[in-house]
Order: sequence, then structure tokens, then C-alpha cells
Amino acid sequence: MNLSAAEIYQAIVVPTLIVGGVGLAFGLLLAWSSLAFAVKVDQRILQVKAVLPGVNCGACGQSGCESFAEAVVAGSAKINGCPVGGEGVARKVAQVLGQEITNTASFVARVACGGLAGCTRQKFTYEGIKSCTAASGLHNGPKACSFGCLGFGDCVAVCPFNAIVIVDGVAKIYEDNCKSCEKCVAVCPKKLIGMVPRGKNHLVNCRSTQKGPVVKRNCDTGCIGCTKCVKVCPASAISFANNLAKIDPLLCTNCGECVRACPTNTIVDVTAPVVLRKSLA
Amino acid sequence: MMANIVQQIVITLLTAILVENLVLSKFLGMCPFLGVTQKTSTAAGMGLAVTFVVVVTAGLAWILNYTLLVPNHMEYLQTMTYILIIAALVQFVETVVRKFIPPLYKALGIYLPLITTNCAVLGVPLLNTAKNYDLLMSLVYSFGAGAGFTLALILFSGVRERMDKADIPATLRGIPSALFAATLVSMSFFGFQGLFAS
Amino acid sequence: MSFQPFDTPKAWDIAVAGLIKENPTLKMILGCCPTLAVTTAVGNGLGMGLATTAVLMCSNMAISLLRGVIPEKVRIPSYIIIIAGFVTVVMYVLKAWLPELDKALGIYIPLIVANCILLARAEMFAAKYKPFPSLLDGLFMGLGFTLALFTISTVREILGSGTWFGLVLTKNLWAPAVLMILPPGGFLAFGLVITGMNKLTNGKIATPMCATCSPERCAP
Repeated sequence: MNLSAAEIYQAIVVPTLIVGGVGLAFGLLLAWSSLAFAVKVDQRILQVKAVLPGVNCGACGQSGCESFAEAVVAGSAKINGCPVGGEGVARKVAQVLGQEITNTASFVARVACGGLAGCTRQKFTYEGIKSCTAASGLHNGPKACSFGCLGFGDCVAVCPFNAIVIVDGVAKIYEDNCKSCEKCVAVCPKKLIGMVPRGKNHLVNCRSTQKGPVVKRNCDTGCIGCTKCVKVCPASAISFANNLAKIDPLLCTNCGECVRACPTNTIVDVTAPVVLRKSLA
Repeated sequence: MMANIVQQIVITLLTAILVENLVLSKFLGMCPFLGVTQKTSTAAGMGLAVTFVVVVTAGLAWILNYTLLVPNHMEYLQTMTYILIIAALVQFVETVVRKFIPPLYKALGIYLPLITTNCAVLGVPLLNTAKNYDLLMSLVYSFGAGAGFTLALILFSGVRERMDKADIPATLRGIPSALFAATLVSMSFFGFQGLFAS
Repeated sequence: MSFQPFDTPKAWDIAVAGLIKENPTLKMILGCCPTLAVTTAVGNGLGMGLATTAVLMCSNMAISLLRGVIPEKVRIPSYIIIIAGFVTVVMYVLKAWLPELDKALGIYIPLIVANCILLARAEMFAAKYKPFPSLLDGLFMGLGFTLALFTISTVREILGSGTWFGLVLTKNLWAPAVLMILPPGGFLAFGLVITGMNKLTNGKIATPMCATCSPERCAP
């Protein structure tokens, strides 16, 4: 092929100049803009963000770990404001900022329902959307007890730490995995999940405020209001209101007298591997 | 004269949004359609980001095409220059938004890098060139295309959010069920065919 | 520097990954735009698949050769420009030698640039490994893509036009389901083929990569 200089110029030099020129122009524009519009980031924010768990769960009340880091550096959030990271993270954050921290109590979530599939009755067969929020909207759900856990797993889906499992139709929280982000507390339509200080192992596994005979009809392990636990507790930690017993975790000494006294196995020790079924003669 | 132009604008807009919907008829922008439509908020964010980038890119691409490429008979450089414009523009927009509108950056920022290889953003300037639109019609068509894209994404995310609650067999969970839902959404948009006699 | 020494996968592993285990369209859900758009006929699907394979092989090779040179910060735009260059070449080759295919595929040929598969393989393979394995990866990923397109377009053409590769099969026996060659049919056929693939690979669910295909995500 004999190509004249003009043809070579047209075919090779001009396109290279065009594409190269456009590329160079854009490159310079981008370089200039990255310098001119540089956003100064406080280095401490990046350092704090690096020690955070990075789950972006929102338990701290901010919209994510980066927002929490910004708030802590700005002083609008507490250093121990990350419940998921707990004391370890609080200490590291304090180190980055060069500040002291005070001791924090650790909380854990607990489901207050013992109505397993074998010991409860159903009002009707539910064939709808498999979600607790949806089911609870239909006549308070298919369970005979309208306060009980429906077991469709809205809390399981929302837990970022895989701490919740549905066992026999009732949600169970594995306390080792729970990082107290409180997402399950917010999502449960029956408001059955509450935050309890870690280490207080005794719980009234029921939230029903109905009278004893009604509860007994709906569920074998519901609180029937016999008040034996109230009388037997040496620390007077148990109160009784609205047909329901309630243990105050701050007064509880973990002695276990209430578990032994309860005739319906409503009060449980969450660390016990198996719920011992007493005969309900 | 004025009425003619307005009529043309309206027809182009409606064609872009309904009749030749970018996602449901032309299959451009499928990746975000299947990927970010699990929640309506993310779908809306992606749609708005794409609309903005598409309109600006189409304008710049038209200018570059008709000032540099066509006079020099270098149409074969269109693909390369369009993609250069897109890559540079997306990066530039990200830098500017981060500096001047931080809340917007927090909301849309993560979608901007995903737009660089979005078929829709490259497809719209190519379509404008293929249809020989002038600058005004290019911008109108691009805006319509972006709006149609956003519409399709928001509608589909609503369907998907609802579907997520249902009991779906394991083999169908995720993408296959989304595609079957997309079939029906696409069929519904098919009803707009033949809306304009031309 | 984007070069890092890794254990290079064997040729057989690359082949199996590209064709079946990590099939870009049916497993990783990359490159959905051409999958739905050009699979109205088997010829079109095959043509698009082979064109993409050619670009993929060339771009993987080129990027692998340049992997020690391209700086980290500008790697995405650089990869895209390289890919765009090869796509332009393939575009004009098709225009010259296969004009009917070029007409049938239309704007989807230049859109190969925006095909997520190319950028994903560039980032995940070519940037890390030597040129020859990258070439093989490009070949087999491209063939996997072609296989997916072939399957989907077979379904669509047989059901939608009653023909296969232009050969008349059932067209004169009963009226074909025209829906299959229209856009809704594309979604339907794609969904059916992915379901089949899920079932064949023992229910390993396909997880979409493309939507989260950011530079940070693509590099493992």
C-alpha cells in the first residue's frame, strides 16, 4: 500500500491527537477538580472509623459507622455510644481521641415468650405472608394467646449478628452472639423483646396480661397469676401487676427460687440447656 | 413553528418514557434493574443519578461529536470519545457533589461509580447519534430516557419488595423470580406500543 | 502497581470456571443487556457471543501485558479505554465482513464496551495474572457467555418463530408464541434458563454481581 503523507496524517495522526487531546483535557480537568474541590477530612474520623465494627447497624443512633465516627470526633456522641463494639471498641475510640472512659454496663436482648408449638393452641390456620408484622395484623395473629411470639422470624431477618433462631415456633436469642443493637426490639410487632443487663439469667417467659384461666386455656406455660414467685423471692425482686409477674433485674440475685416455685414453668433460667417440664397434674 | 417544536418535544418525551422504555423495551441498564431494586429507596437513588448523568453526557457527547468528529470524518471514534466523556464526567460529578452537596453525596454517592459501565448511559448518546437528533431533541430524549429508567426501576422495586415476603422455592429465589416479575412488568409496558401513529 | 504474584490457575480450572462454575451470565449475572436484547435468533446470539469473546480475549491480553504499568488510581478508566479500542475494531470488522449481523445487532455492538463481563474479568483476572492465562480466561469466559446466549436464543427462537438458526422447524405446523421474541419473552427465557442452570448445579443460587460491581467490590 502506498500511502501519501497526507493520508497517513489523516488516518493516524489526527485521530490520535483527537482522542489523546480529549483524554488529556479531561485528565487535567479531573486533576484540577480533585485538588480544588478537595474535602478536608479530619484524620481522627478515619482512625475512629477504623476501630468501629463496621456493621452500620444504627444502634448508636447515627446513620452508620462513618456518621458515628464524625459525631464522636465532633463531640456530639458518647465515646461508649457503640453498644455493638462494647467496652473493647469504647476503649480503642478513647485511645484515638486521647480521652478517658467510664465503665459501661452490657445489655442483651431477650424474648419473653415460652409458648412453644407443643404447648400452645391456635386460633386459626394462617396462610398469608410469612411475616410476624403481617400475621399480627390479622386478628392479632394465629396463636390463641394474642401476646405470644408468632415465630415467622422478622427478628431473625433483621439481626445482623445471626443471634436469633426460631425454635419450636418461638424466637430464641443466643446471648453470646447478641451485640445489643436493639434492631429486634424495634421490629417485633408484639413488643416481646426487651433489653436486660447481661448476667441476670432469670426471666418471666410471658407477657400475657389476661386472667389465669384464659391463659391456661391458650398456653401451658403462661403466667397464671398464682404469685408464688412473688412470695418466695428472698430479694423481693418480683412484682405483680395486670395478672403478670415481672422480675426486676437490678434486684435479682440469680438464686433460682422462683424457677423452682413456678407451677407452670413460666419462669426460666436462660442458661439452663433444657426447660425441665414438671408434670402439670 | 413553536407549536410544532412543543409537539415534537412531547412526542419524544413520551416515546422515551413509555413506548421505548430504556429498560423494559431496549434492555439497557439491566444490571442495576436486577441489582439495586430490592429496596425502593436505592432504586430511586440510582434512577435519579442515572438521569442526571445521562442528560449531561448526552449534551457533551453531541457537542463533541458535531464539532470534532463529524467535520473530520472520524465517526469511528464515537464509542471511544463517548466512554471517555462518561468516565470523566462521573468522576467529576462525584468530586463536585462531595464538596458542595454532602447530603446528596451520602445518598447517591455509592451509585456514581456503578454508572460508568451502565449500558444505558453509553446507549443514550449512541441512540441520539443513530436517530440524528439535534441538540435540543438529544437533551429531551435523554431526559425522557432517564425518567423512563427511573420509573421502571421504582415500579419494579415495589413489585420485588412485595415478592420478597412470599414463599418462593429455593431454585427460583432471587434472580429467576425477579425475571419472571420483570416479564409481567415488561408486558404491561408493551401496551404502549403504537401509541404514536408515526 | 497493580501486579501481584498469585498462584496462576490451571488451564482446565479456567475452562471449567468460565463455561460452567462461574458462567458470567448464568451464575454471576453479568452482561444481561445483550443477553436479553440480541437473543431473538440463534444466529444473532452466536454472533454477539463470538464478537464479545474476541474483544474479551484481546482486552484481557492487553491489560495483562500492561498490568505493571497502569497506576492503581486510574485503572478503571484505562481498562475502559483499552476495551473501547478493541470494540471499535471489532465493530468495523463486522461492518465490513458480516453486514447482516451488524444490522441485526445494531447499537448493541458498541455497547459491548459497557458489558460488565469485560471490566469484571479485567479487574479480577487480567490485572493479576500473566498474559497467556488471561487470554485463556478471556476465551473461556467469552465461550461461557456465548453458550448462555446460544441456549437462551434457542429457547426464544424455537418458541417464538418456530425456526432454529433459520431452519424452519414448527413454523408451518402451529402459530409460534410471538411473545417470546418480544421483550417480555426475553425476561421469561432468561429466567427459565437460570432456573434450569440452578437446578442442574444442585440449586446453587445465582448471586448478581453486576449491581455491586464497584471497583472496590470487583477486586476480592
